Amino acid sequence: MPVIGIPLEPLRRRIGADLPGDRLLSVLEEIGCDVEGFARLPRTRCKVCEWIEERTESEEPPARCDRCDTDHRADQSTLDEMPPLEVVRMELLAVRPDMFDPGGLARALRGYLGVEAGPAQYEVGDPAARLIVDPSVRDPKSLRPFIACAVVENVTLDADAVKILMKLQENLHWALGRNRKLASIGVYDFDTVRPDLVYTTADPDRTSFVPLGATDGVPRSLRAILEAHPKGRAYKHLLEGLARYPLLRDEGGRVLSMPPIINSEETKVHSGSRRLFIDVTGLGERVVQRTLNILVTSIAENLPGVLLRSVAIAGASTADGKGARADARLTPDLTPQAAHVRAAEASRLIGIPLDASKAASLLLKMRHGARIRGDGDTIEVEVPAYRNDILHERDLIEDIAIAHGYHNIVPELLPARTVGRARPLEDLTNRVREVLCGLGFMEVMTLVLTDDEEHDVALGREVDSSAVRLENPISGEQTRLRTRLLPGLLQVLRHNLHQPLPQQIFEVGDVTRLHPTAETGATEHRRIAFAAIGPKVGFTEARAVVEAIAREFGVAPVWEPAEDAPFLMGRCARVRLDGTTEIGILGEIDPAVLERFGLENPLVMAELSIEALAGWTPALRFTLEE
Amino acid sequence: MRLPKEHLLLLKALADRPEGGERVDEIAARLGIDQARIAAAAVSLVQQGLVRMIEEPYREVVVRPDGRRFATEGFPERRILKSLIGAGGSLTMPEVATATGLEPKEVGSSLKWLMSRGWARKDGPKLTAAVSAMPPRTADEDLLAELSKRERGTEADLRAAGLAVEEALELLKGRASWCEVREKIHRRIEIEKDGRALLSAGVEESVEVTQLTPELVASGKWRDVILRSYDVRLATDPVYPGKIHPLQRVLDETRHAYLEMGFQEIVSPIVESSFWDFDALFQPQDHPAREMQDTFYLRTPGECALPADPALVDRIRRVHEDGGDTGSIGWQYRWDPDKARRAVLRTHTTATTVRALAADPLGPRRVFCVGRVFRRETIDYKHLPVFYQVDGIVVDADASFANLLGTLAAFYRKMGFKQFQFRPAFFPYTEPSVEVYIWYEKRKDWVEMGGAGIFRPEVTEPLGCRVPVLAWGLGLDRLAMMRYDLSDIRDLYLPDTEWLKGVPVCR
Repeated sequence: MPVIGIPLEPLRRRIGADLPGDRLLSVLEEIGCDVEGFARLPRTRCKVCEWIEERTESEEPPARCDRCDTDHRADQSTLDEMPPLEVVRMELLAVRPDMFDPGGLARALRGYLGVEAGPAQYEVGDPAARLIVDPSVRDPKSLRPFIACAVVENVTLDADAVKILMKLQENLHWALGRNRKLASIGVYDFDTVRPDLVYTTADPDRTSFVPLGATDGVPRSLRAILEAHPKGRAYKHLLEGLARYPLLRDEGGRVLSMPPIINSEETKVHSGSRRLFIDVTGLGERVVQRTLNILVTSIAENLPGVLLRSVAIAGASTADGKGARADARLTPDLTPQAAHVRAAEASRLIGIPLDASKAASLLLKMRHGARIRGDGDTIEVEVPAYRNDILHERDLIEDIAIAHGYHNIVPELLPARTVGRARPLEDLTNRVREVLCGLGFMEVMTLVLTDDEEHDVALGREVDSSAVRLENPISGEQTRLRTRLLPGLLQVLRHNLHQPLPQQIFEVGDVTRLHPTAETGATEHRRIAFAAIGPKVGFTEARAVVEAIAREFGVAPVWEPAEDAPFLMGRCARVRLDGTTEIGILGEIDPAVLERFGLENPLVMAELSIEALAGWTPALRFTLEE
Repeated sequence: MRLPKEHLLLLKALADRPEGGERVDEIAARLGIDQARIAAAAVSLVQQGLVRMIEEPYREVVVRPDGRRFATEGFPERRILKSLIGAGGSLTMPEVATATGLEPKEVGSSLKWLMSRGWARKDGPKLTAAVSAMPPRTADEDLLAELSKRERGTEADLRAAGLAVEEALELLKGRASWCEVREKIHRRIEIEKDGRALLSAGVEESVEVTQLTPELVASGKWRDVILRSYDVRLATDPVYPGKIHPLQRVLDETRHAYLEMGFQEIVSPIVESSFWDFDALFQPQDHPAREMQDTFYLRTPGECALPADPALVDRIRRVHEDGGDTGSIGWQYRWDPDKARRAVLRTHTTATTVRALAADPLGPRRVFCVGRVFRRETIDYKHLPVFYQVDGIVVDADASFANLLGTLAAFYRKMGFKQFQFRPAFFPYTEPSVEVYIWYEKRKDWVEMGGAGIFRPEVTEPLGCRVPVLAWGLGLDRLAMMRYDLSDIRDLYLPDTEWLKGVPVCR
């Protein structure tokens, strides 16, 4: 999860209650923020585009502007050092994007701290513009069917406010937009465009505009922007394979943006902007609406005094994204979501005493609307339009628990009505450990991920066709699961070349093999393997240990000569039970293999199936009872 | 009759001593043998009735630091008297301090000695000499002078040196920090009649051997030899027992903790379908955790079978699409059974517990699973693509969130931790959700150990479960690293065998 720094000054100002630093941190933790602590972030301002860049104290000032690509290193005078920003650093909680900015976070804290209760009120004024949705956005060849817009008036932006706005946008892109794929946001200076606006699609080669940051004023084609602009390169995969690209323009043909890639330079927001136009485009109706709701309510929280105006969307896509709605719909739609919660259920589930009026007051604390129904138990809840995480009554119960405070819940044990029961295989495996430890062997544990070279080829074996293989390995050394334990032991010995001899090690664990009739296509097998290395080690020792293990299982093994890598021919035995069931193999390791692992002493090894020793067969399907 | 060499030497040395025998320290000096060995030999000879031990109490006088100091610098009362006489008879107290170089406190505490010796008297603010010439040295001054040379002396020795010991000790009463009298005992050894008889009958020296052999034991010859004493302080080559792996110990303790709390132990495959790893846990199919970047998908087997019951699969589909019958609005997208079939290396053992819930949704039931889980992480000191988790669920109509916190606290208490914090958190399959932090005294910080919560109705109801299900998934490698003080997680899986040998079992 990304870590963000919430500026402290606007946060404290918007909370409106005096809160010492440590109390602020604990309150943030109590409402679910993953807080790292306070920090001072050095800041620079790009003199070309006014972009403010924050960095951590260990980082160097930026070499290039992240927004307009100015080379600060070539010309130092393009960069201004600003006073550092005091922030509280926290991990983004993906489910609460309404708390990503000082205003939104302060709104939640005012409720939690009792400064305010119940829903925050937002007025949305008459439509300030009309936006026409062209049916081509619903075409599979240019797919980005949904759009929601808003206008914000009476705006006074200082550089800090611009930065808060940008960060909010960035964080929403991450949390709700899945990196702009599901939803992406554009913010523009409304006074630079002439409504009506049009959300349409355009030919990538025949349409051009000046993208944000292109200070030369030269228009580029949509395709050229995708290939050359930093944001184009970063997000070009989102438009890959489309015949036409999404485009937002005004009636006069001035381009606002190419969603979800980049805005135009001409419509750029700056500190003098007084009216903002906002669009959210995306792949789902709910995510587009919620993103806009969160953005505009947070703007209202961060910039008190602004006026929200709606936009009439004509030809908006239907919920399935395939047709057009007959009516013009107004966005943003800040109507609360209606839900209900039962106080008795909440009380029982959380395990705290709670009546309806207490539950209602806790919901008000979380900024919901709450009204107790006639039955004295059910509470009608109005969930604010900026909350994206209330899917079920249970989510409201969690809000009640958080408002009550997890630290105020007394941990209690539930009376036991069940009897503990260990898996027989685990107990059996522990007995095998006891035997090997008693014989002076040291247990090792190795990673179960491996590759063909280490696992099979280095041991002089054919690549195991029964191995489970990864589709997306992270490195060439981990491409499959182990099918035997011996290779892991050889790696441990190689890693311990410099240690005194003799060395005696063992591993007990599962190997995984493909199994066509198993439910998941593979089965696990519990095995024991051991290794002894030293100048005087020989076959008889390995045999004596295997015999000891078999004796402790109460079985009498049958030995037969075998030829099997990595063992030395003539010093290798297969072990069977009653002459039929194979339980494993043992022997001296071929010197060719020793050489490959850099080992210089005789080595004996064995690998046995614990299930075979115990006379069990592994289950092919999940079962609860054994 | 044979006697060990030193025993025989001692017996012979005592034969010509007069009645009352000889002191151990004197014999030791005479024979040139360590006192402790003389004493040991004597004990053995006493047991055989050849000698007897006589205890002789005596008093020893020991000088202490203040006594040594004033023996050298002169007793304070003498120095004060000298300064008074030098000043013509009288001085104020501060003047005395300046003239003698004594601390004002020391001047004050010396007054009683000046008075009792009749050397001076208090005259208002002044101190006036009561004698006109320096008096001769007194017995206590002589004693301390002698003692500061020899550190300690028995009363008898000091008397023999011509000192008036009784008088001196009487004078020094009240000056405990100057010297001390200790009651001590001398041991004397005197030969017995049987000892003399043995000597005159003739006794031989026995042989000294190093290794006690089976022959010596079986033949009884061990009685005639001396088994040489070893220096037990010498270092030996280390030996190590075969040991269970430290991480395995933590896993086993974890198992025991849950077994003791009435949980049944279960397992499920590490090759798992996306259905059980994600879909059954209400993780939407476009959830970031399901992306190729975070989860290991499998080429072989590429797919797993969906559950045999098509109605179950359909209930899962509906809960994702619109919430189904759970009262939820769902995730509002088109659920794809092909994505649910995709095989993964399980990303959590919650796949195990949710399978157990599906197999028996009614309860009451408590199950847990300790097992390997996989995340697509690059290997470094803190991350491995494979690690251990314990997952558990409690299925019980009476279960509450408070019970979940109680169960988590009970587990960590069993693992040796005392302080916990529960903070709100988010997981797609639990609500309310909580993150568990434990206090790590060594780092003086809270460490996050894992997540927990009550399974969402969107998880439990499609499986046929209508009661609360408490659930948790906690990392165990971190617990092992804390216990064994490791800073690199790789040390657990590609260990130095020397480290494994050295890690104490009792930790």
